[in-house]
Amino acid sequence: MVKFIAKSDNKYLLDVRGLVCPYPVIYTRKALSKLKPGDELEVLTDNPPSCENVPRAVKEEGHEVLEVKRVEEGVWRIVIKKR
Amino acid sequence: MTNNTSVRASTYRYSFREYLRNRVISRVFSNTGWPEWFGGILLGIINILFVIWALKPFTIYTGFLNWGRSIYSMLGIQVFGVPKMIPLFEKTSVGDIGLFTGAFIAALLSNEFRIRLPNSKLDYIEAAIGGLLMALGVVFARGCNWGGFFSAITVLSLHGYLMFIGLLIGGLLGSMYVKWRVSYDAKRLELELAQSNTTNPASLASSNLGLQKIVATILVILLLVLALTVYTIDPSGDLYLGILLLGIAVGIVIQRSRFCFATAFRDIVYGGGEFRRSVRLHIGIILGIIVGATGVFILKYQGIIDPMLYVKSSSIFNILGGILFGLGMVIAGGCASGSLWRAAEGHVKLWVALVVSVLSYPVFKTIIESNAKWIFGSKVSLIDIFGWNGSILFIYVSMLVWFFIILYLDYRRGGKYG
Repeated sequence: MVKFIAKSDNKYLLDVRGLVCPYPVIYTRKALSKLKPGDELEVLTDNPPSCENVPRAVKEEGHEVLEVKRVEEGVWRIVIKKR
Repeated sequence: MTNNTSVRASTYRYSFREYLRNRVISRVFSNTGWPEWFGGILLGIINILFVIWALKPFTIYTGFLNWGRSIYSMLGIQVFGVPKMIPLFEKTSVGDIGLFTGAFIAALLSNEFRIRLPNSKLDYIEAAIGGLLMALGVVFARGCNWGGFFSAITVLSLHGYLMFIGLLIGGLLGSMYVKWRVSYDAKRLELELAQSNTTNPASLASSNLGLQKIVATILVILLLVLALTVYTIDPSGDLYLGILLLGIAVGIVIQRSRFCFATAFRDIVYGGGEFRRSVRLHIGIILGIIVGATGVFILKYQGIIDPMLYVKSSSIFNILGGILFGLGMVIAGGCASGSLWRAAEGHVKLWVALVVSVLSYPVFKTIIESNAKWIFGSKVSLIDIFGWNGSILFIYVSMLVWFFIILYLDYRRGGKYG
C-alpha cells in the first residue's frame, strides 16, 4: 500500500516505506505530477539508496528539494517543492 | 609563543575520538554513499585478491547450494546432494557470510540498519517468484550475476558474455514488470488523494529499533566468534579467515556504493525510473571488470594460476539463464549480492527471496543436471578463441564499446529522467 495523503491545502505526504528501488523514485514522480506548482510533497522512505536517488531524480526534473533529513534510523524525510 | 598556544587552545575543540567520529566515520559512513565507479574499482581489486587467495573468483550461489544442501541433509533429505563441507569450511559460503556481515557492519555504522517489512502481500509473492527465477537462471547460466557474469568475464571465460546478453534481455523484461506493478499500485495512489481531508501523519512511533540492532549485532558477533574459534583450531583456518575478511570487504563496498546489479540491468535498456543511476552502475561494472580481468590475465599468463581456472561451460542456455536471472532479480528487488546486502540491512522481502533461492537452487540443479546434461556446452575460455593477447584486448575493446553505447543512451535521454 502506498499512502498518498493531503495534509493541508498545499502540503502532501507520500509514504513509500517498505518499498525498494525503483518504486520510491517512480511513485515520487507520479505523486508530483498530480500536484500544482508550489505544492510541497513530503516523502517518507526507509530504503537507504532512495534518500539519495529521490532528491537527485526530482532535481533533474527541475523541482526544488527543501529538506533531506533522517527522521529515525534508517528512515528519511524528503521535502520537495513542485516547480 | 604564548599567542600561538592560546590560538591553538581556542580552536582545538574535538577530542581525537570525536574527530574520528565527526570527520572520518560520518563521511565514510554517510547516507550519501560512495560513488559507483569507486565501488567498481574496489570490487575489481578485491576480486583479484580473492582469486589469488582462494583460487577462485568471488561468487555467491555455490554457497547457497551448500546452505540448501545442509538444510536438506539436516532434514534427512539427500536426493539433492550432500554438502561436502559444513558452511564454515566451503569457500563460497564463507565469502557469502562475509558479504552479509560486511553489509551489516556498513549499514550499522551508517545508521541504515532497520527491520523493514514489505508494505503489501504482493511483495512476498514477488520475493518468492524472484528467488525461484534467480535459482533457475543460475543453473542455466552456470552462475549468478557474479559467477555467471562479473567474475566470469574477469576470469576470461566466454560464459560471462553470454549471461551479459541474457541479463540485458531479462532486465528489459523486468522493467516491463515494474511498469505493470506501478500501474497496479497507481490506482490506489489516486484513491487516497481523493479522501484528502483525513489528516493522517505518518506514524513514526519509535519502534523497537534499539532492540533489533542489539539482537542483530549479538547474532553477528556470535557468528564471527564461532568462525574465529574454529579457524584458530583448524589447520586450514587461515584460508577461510582470509576469505571471510575479503567477503566482509565486498559487503562493505556493495552496501556503501549501493552496487545494485538489478538497477543496472533493469533501467539501462528501456530507460526506466533510475536510468541515470543505471548508467553510473554500468560504468562501475565496466571498471571492475577491466581492473579484475587485467589482474587475472597477468596471473594466468604468468602461469601462477591455471588458465582454465573457473572457466565454465558455454551454450545458448547461458543466455536463457541470464534472462531468467535478470527478470528474477528485478522482481525480487535484488540480485545475488543485492539480496545478501539488503537482507543484512534488514529488508524482510529479501530474506524471503534468499530462503526461497537457497531451498530451490539444489532442487533445480539436481533435476536439470541429471536429466539434461546435454544443454551445457563445453568450457570455452576467451584465450582459446582469441589467444593470449587477443583475450585481454577483447575484454578492453568490448568494455569500451559498451561504455560508448551507454554514453550514447545517456546522450539520447538528454539529461532528463523519463
